Amino acid sequence: MAAHGNASTAEHAGVPHHSHVGRYVVVWIVLLVLTVSTWAIAKVHLPGPLHILVALVIAIAKGALVALFFMHLYDQQGANRLVFATSLVFVALLVGLTLSDYATRYPLAKPPGSEGALPAPDYAPPPTSRTH
Amino acid sequence: MNPSLARSEVPVWNPRNYLNSPETGLKSWLLTQDHKRIGVMFLVATTIAFALGGVFALLIRIELLTPGPTIMSAQTYNRMFTLHGVVMIFLFMIPAIPSGFGNFLVPLMIGAKDVAFPKLNLLSFYVYVAGALIALFGMIQGGADTGWTFYTPYSTTTITKVVPVLLGAFILGFSSILTGLNFIVTTHTMRAPGLHWTRLPLFVWSIYATSVIQILATPVLGMSLLLVAVEHAFGWGIFDPARGGDPVLFQHFFWFYSHPAVYIMVLPAMAVISEVVCAFSRKNIFGYKAVAYSSLGIAFVGFFTWGHHMFVSGQSAFNGGVFGVLSMFVGIFTAIKVFNWTATLYRGSILFATPFAYFVGFLFFLVFGGMTGIALATVSLDVHWHDTYFIVAHFHFIMVGATLMAFLAALHYWFPKIAGKRLPEGWGLVAAVMIILGFNFTFIPQFLLGNEGMPRRYFSYPEKFWPLNVASTAGASVLALGLVIVLVYTLVALKWGPIAGSNPWNSRGFEWDTPSPPPPENYETTPVYTHGPHQYDLPGVETPPAATPEPKHAS
Repeated sequence: MAAHGNASTAEHAGVPHHSHVGRYVVVWIVLLVLTVSTWAIAKVHLPGPLHILVALVIAIAKGALVALFFMHLYDQQGANRLVFATSLVFVALLVGLTLSDYATRYPLAKPPGSEGALPAPDYAPPPTSRTH
Repeated sequence: MNPSLARSEVPVWNPRNYLNSPETGLKSWLLTQDHKRIGVMFLVATTIAFALGGVFALLIRIELLTPGPTIMSAQTYNRMFTLHGVVMIFLFMIPAIPSGFGNFLVPLMIGAKDVAFPKLNLLSFYVYVAGALIALFGMIQGGADTGWTFYTPYSTTTITKVVPVLLGAFILGFSSILTGLNFIVTTHTMRAPGLHWTRLPLFVWSIYATSVIQILATPVLGMSLLLVAVEHAFGWGIFDPARGGDPVLFQHFFWFYSHPAVYIMVLPAMAVISEVVCAFSRKNIFGYKAVAYSSLGIAFVGFFTWGHHMFVSGQSAFNGGVFGVLSMFVGIFTAIKVFNWTATLYRGSILFATPFAYFVGFLFFLVFGGMTGIALATVSLDVHWHDTYFIVAHFHFIMVGATLMAFLAALHYWFPKIAGKRLPEGWGLVAAVMIILGFNFTFIPQFLLGNEGMPRRYFSYPEKFWPLNVASTAGASVLALGLVIVLVYTLVALKWGPIAGSNPWNSRGFEWDTPSPPPPENYETTPVYTHGPHQYDLPGVETPPAATPEPKHAS
């Protein structure tokens, strides 16, 4: 970042607002193709977790396209890209440390359904009836 | 004589300032885009919220004066401590220093005419008001009884008006995000020539770190609260195990915001203290870079510690250990700051004025509260103290004690800047002593109660806890009286206080380089900085002329 105050005008001047109609159309078509491929791959038989993996990869690709082109990150300088990358790091932190809790909990001594376990809960009592 | 003022051709006893120009009517305030007026409006609004939260606190303490029912029912008590927490945290402590003093001071300190987005700044204020009104509506409708943490599954099944209170907090979050965004862009792009990052006042550094947390963490709070409101309203199973949800998941989401939120409250307090300690010991800060970077360090590490609220929630023991160790890293950065503030005092020329008295109180509360925090981060100890009054006392010391001390220090230090008047120094010291002693007498008994096992949030207690509860209520009364004294003399000084002059403390903080109160555009010519703030070894900027009282014989 420039040490002097008027950096913003200089930065904005460096990013002229072109109209990228052609680029947007291409990105839009790619997004449509990816959407259809998500649907198509869901029909294909894949072993276990591969479905989730493929769906996530496609979703990330689509998100990246939207962020880069529709949200103009592609045209931006380092600082704005850094801000975006930082937010992803913090999402990873939230998901990662939360999942590490679920992954490392001790298994229940008597999981539901085993001998001596508590009966399965009654689902969906109406909310108001539970408070009195 | 400052040539810029001579040019403006106004008499020196009535200089043009943001209070009297361009207009003075109510409409000119409500529609203003001047960061100083918006800051003042935030200060007024948050002070009202503080008074409301204080009333709830006193009602809680009166109820706990006797072991059994005293003045209210158990259900009302549950609502009281919930409203106390919600109002104090979301309506007072989070916005008070950043949105109030931060708005007023950040542009002044960086030599800018305003913040980067003045309209967004005004929007932030009205979003705050809207959120506060919705939360107030929920309170009038009966209030929530979940505690400010809104823990599921209780919060999604209670019959009290939890949804408006949740929505109020949700909307208040947007105010926080907008203010944070504004300060980040302002700090990056609006600094006057010569004001490098290493010359930036430490107040701005700390507010900047706060803003980063506000932007990164607050959306997660919004998401969590919205999910609770959705589950409460539509009965979808998200957090309620009876409907297939997971209540611990809520705690993860909630504390991912709400632990960093502690630093949203404490970092601005540290911002104030870094300025006050320099101004009142007439020395530059000891270890500028260490203090500046430790603000960012606290903001960063604060995101890795949320699980220490969940040691007994069913979280895995592995995660408990990891979060316990990570939590202690916050202590390192805080200790750097405490060391540097005290080292700044060494061989300083100390002026023991009211702001300095609050600085001393701040140090005590921060260190005492911080050390009990280190103890609580130890999993085995926390299992004993969890959900007892020890926790209540701990977080009141570290968050409320520290933030309140800094808020009052800021009020006394910058009141001449904001209003152009002086606060009475004698009454100031009397009130400071009452507040600091009252605070200690309120919460030290609670440390002892918690250690003996008195659980928090309970309406009644065994008789053996009676004497310490009486002591705590007595302390709260002294604290409240001290705060009322501050309120009274502040209001009196607004109208009848003596004119302060431009720089009554002879401070070398950059915000004092412009007259007090500042003109609407802050600086008539953009300042150029050749050194950092609080350089008492260098000749200072020529002090702008003081506004003298209007002569009685002048017609």
